[in-house]
Amino acid sequence: MTELLRAEGIHKHYDGVRALVDARFSVLPGEVHALVGENGAGKSTLAQIIAGALRADSGEMAWNGQPVKVSSPADAQRLGIAMIFQELDLFPHLSVAENLVIGNLARERRPWVGFRALDDYCRPYLEAAGLKCNPRTPVHTLPIGHRQLVALARALSLNARLILMDEPTSSLSEDGVDRLFGLVQGLKRSGVSVVFVSHRMREIFRISDRITVLRDGATIGTRVTSETDVDEILAMMAGREVKDAGRQTRRVSAEVLLSVSGLTTARIHDISFELRRGEVLGVAGLVGAGRSELGAALFGMDPWTAGEVRMKGVPIRPRTPGEAIRLGIGLLPEDRKIEGLMMGMTVLENSTMAVAGRFSRAGFVRAGQEREAARQAHHGAALKRPSEDVAVSTLSGGNQQKVLLVKWLLADPEVLFLDDPTRGIDVGAKRDIYQIIERLAAAGKGILLVSSELPELLRCCDRILVLRDGRNAGLLDAKTATQEEILSLATAAHAR
Amino acid sequence: MMRRFQSVAGLAAVVLLAIVFSPAAADGSNIFLGAGNLTDVLRQMSVIGIIALAMTYVILTSGIDLSVGSILALATSVTALVLTRPMAGWSAGPHIGIAILAALAACAAVGAINGWVISRLAIQPFIVTLAAMIGVRGLAKWLTGNANIDIGFGQDEAAIFAAFFKQKAVVVGTFAALAAIFWVILTRTVFGRYVRAIGDNETASRYTGLPIRRVKVWVYTLSGLLSGLAGVLYAAENHQGNPNAGAAYELDAIAAVVIGGTRLSGGRGSIAGTLAGTLIMGVLTNILRLKNVDSNVEMMVKAVIIVLAVSIQKRQ
Repeated sequence: MTELLRAEGIHKHYDGVRALVDARFSVLPGEVHALVGENGAGKSTLAQIIAGALRADSGEMAWNGQPVKVSSPADAQRLGIAMIFQELDLFPHLSVAENLVIGNLARERRPWVGFRALDDYCRPYLEAAGLKCNPRTPVHTLPIGHRQLVALARALSLNARLILMDEPTSSLSEDGVDRLFGLVQGLKRSGVSVVFVSHRMREIFRISDRITVLRDGATIGTRVTSETDVDEILAMMAGREVKDAGRQTRRVSAEVLLSVSGLTTARIHDISFELRRGEVLGVAGLVGAGRSELGAALFGMDPWTAGEVRMKGVPIRPRTPGEAIRLGIGLLPEDRKIEGLMMGMTVLENSTMAVAGRFSRAGFVRAGQEREAARQAHHGAALKRPSEDVAVSTLSGGNQQKVLLVKWLLADPEVLFLDDPTRGIDVGAKRDIYQIIERLAAAGKGILLVSSELPELLRCCDRILVLRDGRNAGLLDAKTATQEEILSLATAAHAR
Repeated sequence: MMRRFQSVAGLAAVVLLAIVFSPAAADGSNIFLGAGNLTDVLRQMSVIGIIALAMTYVILTSGIDLSVGSILALATSVTALVLTRPMAGWSAGPHIGIAILAALAACAAVGAINGWVISRLAIQPFIVTLAAMIGVRGLAKWLTGNANIDIGFGQDEAAIFAAFFKQKAVVVGTFAALAAIFWVILTRTVFGRYVRAIGDNETASRYTGLPIRRVKVWVYTLSGLLSGLAGVLYAAENHQGNPNAGAAYELDAIAAVVIGGTRLSGGRGSIAGTLAGTLIMGVLTNILRLKNVDSNVEMMVKAVIIVLAVSIQKRQ
């Protein structure tokens, strides 16, 4: 059977970080093909390249055996490729019907839109997508699961022969998942191929015909679903790397620095753990499992609905980041460009941003003192930069991350929540950041370390808290835990 | 660094053009370069310039203040109302002082309310200050009963007030002193750094625990205060409290800030740039008037200059 789609040698870089390295992927007509991998393995990037939403740096694609170039979503649509994005790309204030035809409106000869004709046109596609609603309903009034069906109906209206779905079940209830899978089966029967990007093992094994595993941007392999099992796929996702020999023995004090019990916000439920002086506690879980949300709760950004947090035995309840900082909690956010740095300001200004008041008298910045303190901190972080006075936007990703870390080193919190501090930076900068974490632990700080890279957690942490769907899924000893164990808890692979 | 000198270079170019195109006086000297004319230019732009200083802070936080013209009108009205009110037993100095303080306090209060609503209720600055622009204009007209209040034509306190505050040295001196203060605050203080940080990245500012609300309230309070001060000078200069004064001044102030290279989306900009932007507008107006260009054509020329200045900065 000729492959419907074949992608080979796909390379993609973002800001000097490799997202895909020589990835390959193929889809047969009428099959459901799962694309799996850990966070950051490149699944979404590959799917978006196929759908024309991103452009590969290099690589080749063939459609029905014919070489093709897909450099825009319009190109992909002409071929018959449609994608349902994780962040649904709908127009929330337009109606369901308008969302369905928005790409085709321009082809209409008449300058106006006939609403009755529009409704008639949309009805079959909405029915096929299993969506019962008035086509004139504004999309933002629909529940999220229904919005996804609108996106699916749009894909159907394009007569797509290949539909890529990026984590389509992440926002669905059990019921919604059943309905979606019913639809996918129907599509398959009518000869449409579906690519299903996910890391939920149960769903993958339920729906897919074949599974392709990506790791660190490369294709590890493709398996026929009926001939493999969860453990093999998890092993392929995690890799066979041995544990880093560089793991250091660390003396963790018995003193509990931070004790969290039953912490609940709108986004996390009943989280409990204790963090000791000098301990590095890993926080593992898939995207959306509540890792960053735990940080937001501790840092005073999300209001608590239940639970108690004690700092050195004293109950605390920070309501703003400013309060959290005064209580001795720091948070290095996940996205350094959006949440972390003032990109147009200088390295010096960013470094001392959280503590500018400390280097001031009567409101005036004491420039000499400030510069001296920043220099020392830069030195400690092995930050090599041409000058403190250049805009932070001119630095490499790794150096930007170090500036962000220096900001918190200068603030000197007792408890520091590091949200994926090594994401998208080079190996050298990673090693420097590991050393800083080591030094902080040795100085008796408590570190909460979020990471999408399991080897990193196993290397740096004393214990690992695994989260799933905003809840505790387990607490492992990092010395004895394995990647498979963490993944299995995080994906609920063996549950039920 | 280039960016910093760019607006100054633009100013130099405009001044050069002004010198070249200036008409000659009867004795053959350059009218534009005459000492009287140059100081006139400075005086004429001081009122807008003072407003533009605080507007620079507002825009740096990625905000906007459309209410400055109305606040100026409020200041002229309050000043005139207090000055024309007989205050038995008070000598001229304290009477004038109270008039000015009352005007400044009212205007700072309006600014503080703007800032409070913007930061507390999280409504867009454009909408809040648009509402204030309408409401404060109404307040000024209501206070004065819709009429101009003439001041300083007799021998009373108001005359002393007007005579003093219309002097070129006082007007230009006030502007220069405020420019120096605002420059120092922006470049040397923690507050100034927060102003730029919030405009550069408000999300990151929140993650850094910066006092975003407090900074915003202060920034709009300063904008109200300086608009009020500009109004006091305006009242002296024009010998009246005028509730219709300052219409479209917000646009002139914003233009001066933007020509000076401050980014409308916030985070990037400087007081030096705003000074240059104000001078460019002032010199341009002056030379066009010296050449007897129709005032309607003058507006068209300004329009082109604004777009040109910003597009040149964009390209860098």
